Amino acid sequence: MDYRAKLHVRILRFVILGIVLVVILTPIYIVVSNSFRPTLEMKQMPPQLIFEPTLIHLQRLIERDNFLRYFRNTLVISISVTFSTIVLGSLSAYGLKLFQSRIGERLTNVLLLGKLVPSITILIPLYVMLNRIHLTGTFVGPILAHTAITLPFVTWLMESFVRGLPHELLESANIDGATRLLTFRKIVFPLLTPAIASALVLVMRFSWNELMFSLQLTSINTYPLTVGIARYVGAISVDWGKSSMAATIAMVPLIVIGFFMQKYLVTGLTAGAVKS
Amino acid sequence: MIKQKRFYWSLEKGDLLPVLLMAPSVLIVVFVMVIPLSYGLFLSFFNFNFGRFEIARDFVGLLNYRAVFADRTALRSILHTLLFSFGSISGQLFFGTIIAVLLLQLPRVVQSVVRPLILMPLLLSQIVVGLIWRYIYDPQGILYWALGLVGITISDFPGVTASSTALLSTVIAHWWQVVPFVVIVLTAGLVAIPRELYEAAYIDGAGAFTVFWRITFPLLRDVYMVILLISGVDTIKIFDIIYSLTGGGPNNSTISISMHAFNQAFMRPNLSYAMALSVVAMIITFAVFGVPFILNNRTKRER
Repeated sequence: MDYRAKLHVRILRFVILGIVLVVILTPIYIVVSNSFRPTLEMKQMPPQLIFEPTLIHLQRLIERDNFLRYFRNTLVISISVTFSTIVLGSLSAYGLKLFQSRIGERLTNVLLLGKLVPSITILIPLYVMLNRIHLTGTFVGPILAHTAITLPFVTWLMESFVRGLPHELLESANIDGATRLLTFRKIVFPLLTPAIASALVLVMRFSWNELMFSLQLTSINTYPLTVGIARYVGAISVDWGKSSMAATIAMVPLIVIGFFMQKYLVTGLTAGAVKS
Repeated sequence: MIKQKRFYWSLEKGDLLPVLLMAPSVLIVVFVMVIPLSYGLFLSFFNFNFGRFEIARDFVGLLNYRAVFADRTALRSILHTLLFSFGSISGQLFFGTIIAVLLLQLPRVVQSVVRPLILMPLLLSQIVVGLIWRYIYDPQGILYWALGLVGITISDFPGVTASSTALLSTVIAHWWQVVPFVVIVLTAGLVAIPRELYEAAYIDGAGAFTVFWRITFPLLRDVYMVILLISGVDTIKIFDIIYSLTGGGPNNSTISISMHAFNQAFMRPNLSYAMALSVVAMIITFAVFGVPFILNNRTKRER
């Protein structure tokens, strides 16, 4: 279409794009800069673009609030969830492919209906159940919940990959004497790498950022980052320096992962809409 | 019915291996989703609050459901959730479409620089998004300073401080986070449309709007449908962003179904009532987004 666009149209496009970028990036700049901004300058308008950065907020988070523990807890939860959904999801996807009847296809369609169940509808009875067996306040709650919620999507994502593998490939392995499990380990799983990468970044994003389940199912020793932040904003007056620093710590690892795995993030996000 | 085939007790033949492969996943989903869901549904017909529980004594029938429809806050939370959903989705589609179309018309180099930047809000936790916007909306904060430069004061747009605009303010914060999702998905759909279609249309003298309405939109109908469903379901569940941005206030003007149910379940506690409310939330989700989803799948298969 470029061949037709007049100069002023092209300039207008850049102007709109510039506005879009400013709108998207300013809030991120605000939270990152506020985490290094002295408390007294927090409400100074116009905002100081150049200021003397301070590490006092970070120091308070780590020394007084034991924030590193929240970080570790988030790592424990999200890595366990990501690992188990990838293992379980790829196994089930292969299982769906192996079914003789067409039951596999039907099951995959049913899988996505799970997305329609609101988290709160699961959380309340799940809390009662876990409470009865004294598992509230441990990592078990959020890990189980996040796994169950993301597993259907991960299975569905991998299933569409496995379905695309040529039949001859699996058969030739069979002729060469490989068992079906060996075929999975040596042929199917390695070929799934792109789907695994997409699942990894999407599940990580979900589990790392999830709040509601963790808010109720964890306790002081197992709080993840999101609950830590929730406790800061629950206060009547927010300590902006501390909570901004907490937010920055929470978002940087994911932004880094998302940046390096951009391609897989995009395929994962668009999988539902464009592929099938 | 599916024709029954022989079942082999062997890993190399028949359905034993697939059943074993799927068993762990199915077990997890059953234990964490199906059983709690049924249990919650069951308890919503009882008067239950942690302590002792006797089926005969504590059965209350539909009382909890009647209580939901007699509870003003519950009805308001349903209304807010639906308004939030409608507002958020319409804005997402509107801004998402404009940005996606615009982005594709820019030079490749610019696109490849801009795209990763656009993805950033999507990677943030909703609670962080709420926190950031709470700072932005602060009466002494940056938004009102900027608006003040063009002569708009807090009484013109009270933001999160007044019931009238609080919900709109949360919707705007939500747009900021999820419009990029729509942009990414639409872009994937847009690049699949053959360029010749557009060239032909331009030669015939069609304007940009006609081209979008007559060519792009019909071809992307399914993509829009999926965006509608994914975003729709996510907005009906809305909790985190409201939790950190307004906490449901002022005067409950931004309380959502999930938040009201959460408070009733864990702050009161009023467990069986909260379960009834959360079942209502699920029914609403199915009615508003599940039915179109199933119908859409059916027509797709027929085509």
